[in-house]
Amino acid sequence: MAKKNVSVWTSIPFWRRSAAWVTGFAVMLLIWLSFDTLGQISMGTDEDLKAGTTKRVPAPTVINYNIDYKMDKKRGSEVPVIGAKEPFFGKEWSVEEAADLLHLGKLTSQAKNCMNCHTLLGNGAYFAPDLTKSWLDPMWSATGPMQAMTGKPTKEEAMAEFLINPSQYPTHARMMPNLGITAEEAVGLVAFLKHMSSIDTNGFPRNFSKTVDQFKVGGTNAR
Amino acid sequence: MLASIKTNSLTNEGQKLGMMYFRVAIILFGAQLLMGLIAAIQFLVPGFLFEIFDFSVARMVHINALVVWMLYAMIGSVYMMITDETGVETVGIKLGKLGFWVLTAAVTVVVLVYIFVQVGAGTEASIWLIHEGREYIEAPRWADIGIVVVVLIFYWNVFASYMAGKQTGIMTVMVANLMALAGLYLAGMFFTDNISMDQFWWWWVIHLWVEATWEVFVGTLAAYALIRLIGAKREIVEMWLWIEVLMLFGSGVLGMGHHYFWIGTPEYWWEIGALFSALEPVPLIAMFVHVLYDWGKEQGMAHGRGEEGNVVTNGPAMAWIVTNAFGNFLGAGVWGFFHTLPQVNIYTHGTQFTAAHGHLAFFGAYATILIGMMYYGVQKAHGVERMAMNFKSKMGIFLITFGVLGMTVALTIAGYEQVLVERAELGGTWNAFFIAQELPWYIQAQLWRTIMGVVTLVGFIYLVWDLLTIGKESQKEEV
Amino acid sequence: MFFEPFTDVVPSFFGWLNQGPLTLTIFLHTVIILPMFWIYKQEKANLEKEA
Repeated sequence: MAKKNVSVWTSIPFWRRSAAWVTGFAVMLLIWLSFDTLGQISMGTDEDLKAGTTKRVPAPTVINYNIDYKMDKKRGSEVPVIGAKEPFFGKEWSVEEAADLLHLGKLTSQAKNCMNCHTLLGNGAYFAPDLTKSWLDPMWSATGPMQAMTGKPTKEEAMAEFLINPSQYPTHARMMPNLGITAEEAVGLVAFLKHMSSIDTNGFPRNFSKTVDQFKVGGTNAR
Repeated sequence: MLASIKTNSLTNEGQKLGMMYFRVAIILFGAQLLMGLIAAIQFLVPGFLFEIFDFSVARMVHINALVVWMLYAMIGSVYMMITDETGVETVGIKLGKLGFWVLTAAVTVVVLVYIFVQVGAGTEASIWLIHEGREYIEAPRWADIGIVVVVLIFYWNVFASYMAGKQTGIMTVMVANLMALAGLYLAGMFFTDNISMDQFWWWWVIHLWVEATWEVFVGTLAAYALIRLIGAKREIVEMWLWIEVLMLFGSGVLGMGHHYFWIGTPEYWWEIGALFSALEPVPLIAMFVHVLYDWGKEQGMAHGRGEEGNVVTNGPAMAWIVTNAFGNFLGAGVWGFFHTLPQVNIYTHGTQFTAAHGHLAFFGAYATILIGMMYYGVQKAHGVERMAMNFKSKMGIFLITFGVLGMTVALTIAGYEQVLVERAELGGTWNAFFIAQELPWYIQAQLWRTIMGVVTLVGFIYLVWDLLTIGKESQKEEV
Repeated sequence: MFFEPFTDVVPSFFGWLNQGPLTLTIFLHTVIILPMFWIYKQEKANLEKEA
């Protein structure tokens, strides 16, 4: 039987079957990848923190530890570094207390609509600074202006005070409005921000850890 | 003029319902533009409505009105095509009409709560009753459940009519795609303390909507519109549609990876997100070529048959659909590709670059074709054979397109400045953010964005005026 | 160095595939595209039978 001249490229069944295959398989892959990722981004436990096991998203009790953001040669980017224990609002928080506090903080972050001015992990609106690593922002450090402005001796207390009365402490013409955040909610929000800063974001935002000294000697965290 | 809102020579109940959806959609479109203007002014005049109607509120209503008017216009478009495609009257249309009123009442309540309550306390009750504070899907949980119920009714209308009538290729894609589109909304309906987990599932809704299922929806609408507006051959249109489905889902589903670069998810998403999403513009080029090629071919064949004049039976609708074909490629394709690679995205993520892409992509890919469908609806409602562009239609399409392009260019410049200064040079801290926000080039860009926003609004006024009058005017001409 | 050592936090199957320039994504693209050759051949045979 001689071969007939047929055109597969203009055959609807060919494209229909190919579309079904490609879509179906891509969806299967996405689901498989999602299972793998969900395992990696589920929150760690307090035991992980005690044992020094690195988790992409640490347990809520990470608020009891010092957190830093440092250049890592092997990863080729900055990574969060969980250090020694430090008091948070003057105390160490138990597993339950820390979990409850983070819950309150996350709820408040949604109820107050943070994401429609700020970005969280880079997502949201672009009207106010990114909050991914705001816990580590030099503005709030002992040498930064905010502790002096709010008259509070620690980073967490300064942040909480600012969140309760944001428009009382303006740094620029564009200010954060008063959102009726209570003292309790403010503590929760600061815990939420401290926890977020401990998440391994593959080096985002880049150069956030660059200090004034590093600028003076030159050098970059880009790769 | 206002009487023409009711003027209706439609006998098909599904199409009547489609027109009802279109009317609400255009009102919400107007609300979106007004809120956008308030937010744009707040970039320039920080004290504008401060602690009265803050940026977060204006921006929330801006993007929610956007999503909701598009969903309304999409539902309306489907009701327009059900009978044309299946050959039967929409099944369960009474329930569909009830769904429309329930949804519209719910949307009204939600918007009023957004505007007058604005924020709640940090409790579960706020998430259930006020808003969820998650960009684009802020609707409170009670409304989520309402939306699911109404969408189930709508889906029943589509699915039952499909089963009862002819099962064309276009309708097959529509039915399958709508199921995915509706089902994905469920991924956004839960609360978690884990912000990485939160954003992981949030993107299942946002990305798999706008970069997968909504795009396929647009491909399906374009296929239907080409048959209706220029008499394109169904076999050719449906073959293209399957190719588009293949390429859109093939690149778009795993293109999801480009949202998983920096939210706590593993590094392997860099490669997946980069290469799959880099291919996302390919189907958009194909769609553009397809629309223009078919138009040229049909016109040429008509000419060959010795027919005089244009094959297009609805000038404004066709103009918007051609704008869609190009705008989709430019806004979603080119502006998306700009910052889709992780090497670039590490600096552009969370800057005005994203806003620039968002504006042109939502406009080019979705607003355009949905406006085109509204014109098609107006033509049917007035029972006119041919509807040509007039001065108002031309002003509408020109000013809106020019305005959105202008906003996009301005925001791109603002974003570029932000990327270099705030991100690359200063590292994205609080101070870095404000230094970049206060540079002259950034402020100038924001000023131009606002001016172009006003241009868009003027175009919108022409558009509404035209939609209200063009049907009657064309009727008179035909008589 | 052409092939980079594994750098991600947690080893996993996909992390293991992701150990060089574009290895993971090229692998995924390939497994998606390859079966289309088979679909093509089958379709061609079908059309030839009908013709």
